[in-house]
Amino acid sequence: MNLRESLRISWRSIRAHKLRSALTTLGVIIGIAAVITFMVLGGGFSEDVVGDIEAEQEPAMTVQTQTTPEDGFGVMLVETPIYTESDVDALEQREGVEYVAPQGSLDVVQAESDGEQLTGVVDAQATTADRFEHATFVDGGPFDGADEAVVNEQAGQAFEENVSAGDELELTFEDGETTSVTVAGVAESEIGEQTPPQVFVPADEHYTTTVETPDGDEERAYPTLQIGAEGLDDVDPVQETAVDYLEDDSHAAELKADDDEIAVQTVEDAIEQFDDLVGQLTVFIGAVAGIALVVGSIGIANIMIVSVTERTREIGVMKAVGATKRDIMQLFLVESVVLGAIGAVVGVAAGLGFGYLGVWLLGWPMVYPLEWVAIAVAVGIGVGVVSGLYPAWRGARVDPIEALRHE
Amino acid sequence: MVAHDTGPGAAAVTAESVRRTYHLAEPVHAVDGVSLSLGEGSFTAVMGPSGSGKSTLMNLVGCLDTPDEGRLEVGGRSVGELSDTERARLRGTEIGFVFQTFNLMPRLTAIENVRLPMVFHDGVGADRQERARSLLERVGLGDRLEHEPSELSGGQRQRVALARALANEPTLVLADEPTGNLDTETEAEIMELLVDLNEAGATILLVTHERAVAEYADHVVHLLDGEIASLEHLSGARDVTAREKATEGAGNRRSTGEGEA
Ligand SMILES: Nc1ncnc2c1ncn2[C@@H]1O[C@H](COP(=O)(O)OP(=O)(O)OP(=O)(O)O)[C@@H](O)[C@H]1O
Ligand SMILES: [Mg+2]
Repeated sequence: MNLRESLRISWRSIRAHKLRSALTTLGVIIGIAAVITFMVLGGGFSEDVVGDIEAEQEPAMTVQTQTTPEDGFGVMLVETPIYTESDVDALEQREGVEYVAPQGSLDVVQAESDGEQLTGVVDAQATTADRFEHATFVDGGPFDGADEAVVNEQAGQAFEENVSAGDELELTFEDGETTSVTVAGVAESEIGEQTPPQVFVPADEHYTTTVETPDGDEERAYPTLQIGAEGLDDVDPVQETAVDYLEDDSHAAELKADDDEIAVQTVEDAIEQFDDLVGQLTVFIGAVAGIALVVGSIGIANIMIVSVTERTREIGVMKAVGATKRDIMQLFLVESVVLGAIGAVVGVAAGLGFGYLGVWLLGWPMVYPLEWVAIAVAVGIGVGVVSGLYPAWRGARVDPIEALRHE
Repeated sequence: MVAHDTGPGAAAVTAESVRRTYHLAEPVHAVDGVSLSLGEGSFTAVMGPSGSGKSTLMNLVGCLDTPDEGRLEVGGRSVGELSDTERARLRGTEIGFVFQTFNLMPRLTAIENVRLPMVFHDGVGADRQERARSLLERVGLGDRLEHEPSELSGGQRQRVALARALANEPTLVLADEPTGNLDTETEAEIMELLVDLNEAGATILLVTHERAVAEYADHVVHLLDGEIASLEHLSGARDVTAREKATEGAGNRRSTGEGEA
């Protein structure tokens, strides 16, 4: 029997039970719609965070401490100050290194500009002017004196009266002390729109966190370093040298907790790591949604078994007029594959719809997870085949005489 | 064991002591040692009281069922030795079966029902639709092509079933009370159609309760309790054809066959 004829007969029987067929495919529709929705949301989120980072390479890398949470995905940043002044100096001596800019947070609780106070929003970081070697300034430039500061765009726009170079900022620390700085420049932030408002001030004058080094001295120490290489070609060797030094010879190697890891990452490395994380998370959620697919396929199998029983007499008739076992198998398989494929197509459409709605509400860009659409359609058809196999086999086994007597 | 020969030439169907037993509380021999030979191009009627095994015999000859004992050959092939698939092929290509209860596909239209045997039989060419239409026209249902069985009268369904039986140009037509639901006029039309088929060379085996219908055949097999009670040779009951003239030459006229095997 050719495929067109079996499609025709199967379609007849699907249409004859419209409601039942619709309910049968619902499981597959929900499963696939859920998978596609999560893929759209995951893709949109990741695109939103890293999508607008300039692909332009800069010869800089960040040194941070990371830890892997005991349960859960990905990595967490550890903010302990373990990179000492000596580490900074030692790294600066290495070949290909142009500068090493330490960075550490200050416990600033409030920022005031022109009488307007922002409490708890602005993140203050102490660093050195080198930190802005590769930064793009929309206004002004790096700080040059003790009472100067750089703000990022977000911080600049956080005040109703936008802050620009030359403006005064008053920072209040947790202990109540205040300090006044002049904004030297407004810098673009490297990492997307998600960056919080930040104020950068010179570390020498404002940073006070110290640790006891393994040698017994008290030294200032930072949770983050930024290393600039002399050129793009130096990035890889510098990264290697820095990793070697920091892991083996540095104070940081001794000061860090056992489970923590020192990560030296370029912006690209960071994006890659983030993408990996979002990818893992999306696949995990997708797998949960995939359970709905299993339920869906059980639904199809169930209905097909009912359908075989119900149509025993028809099977008998078809066998009586010359249908072989194979023909009957083919008919039922085609029917369940058609059900699965319809479920997949409707599910993909619904998933894209819900995903679109979701990213629109969240303000993320729409991403079409094409490979997942292909996978979903393949899975839908696969679900049809798998769930149709047993019922089809049962149908094919029906004895024509028995079947014709069946009421 | 006596073979009941109902045909002049080569045999289309040969049964030797065929027995079909249903195992209930005690075994029921629905067909109990039947020996019979249907010549190619013969027209045979089967008569007998209800429960005498007529339908069971038809199922056996139609390759839907297999004998528990004895040997049954259809088209020169031993039914008991065929695989399921081979029997399905035989049903689809050589045999046209009209059931006592029609057995039409409820959700398919008349024309789709008639096409069904062609669908399972890849041999017949592309003009299935056309052929199905002409078969339905032949049984007087040219204006009911798109009706589903539930939208047809009993007699119309019977005629659809007959048209379907003819779909693959069978050499053996089995009809289990094909006129049971028809008025005398339609009955006559259907019987004429069977006679036409028979004259075109098909072997016909027909179950009926009505003597008038049995009269269309050349031979009548009388069944009783699964056994052949008697065999009757008829002729002249309908328009004499060239073939019948030939059998008349053999001098058979209303002679009664031997009793049970
Ligand atoms: N599946 C079955 N299980 C048990 N007994 C059966 C079965 N099928 C038929 N029989 C028995 O076999 C016998 C012959 O049945 P069959 O259907 O061949 O009769 P029939 O001559 O066609 O009768 P009718 O004229 O009423 O159609 C009956 O006694 C019936 O009860
Ligand atoms: Mg019967």
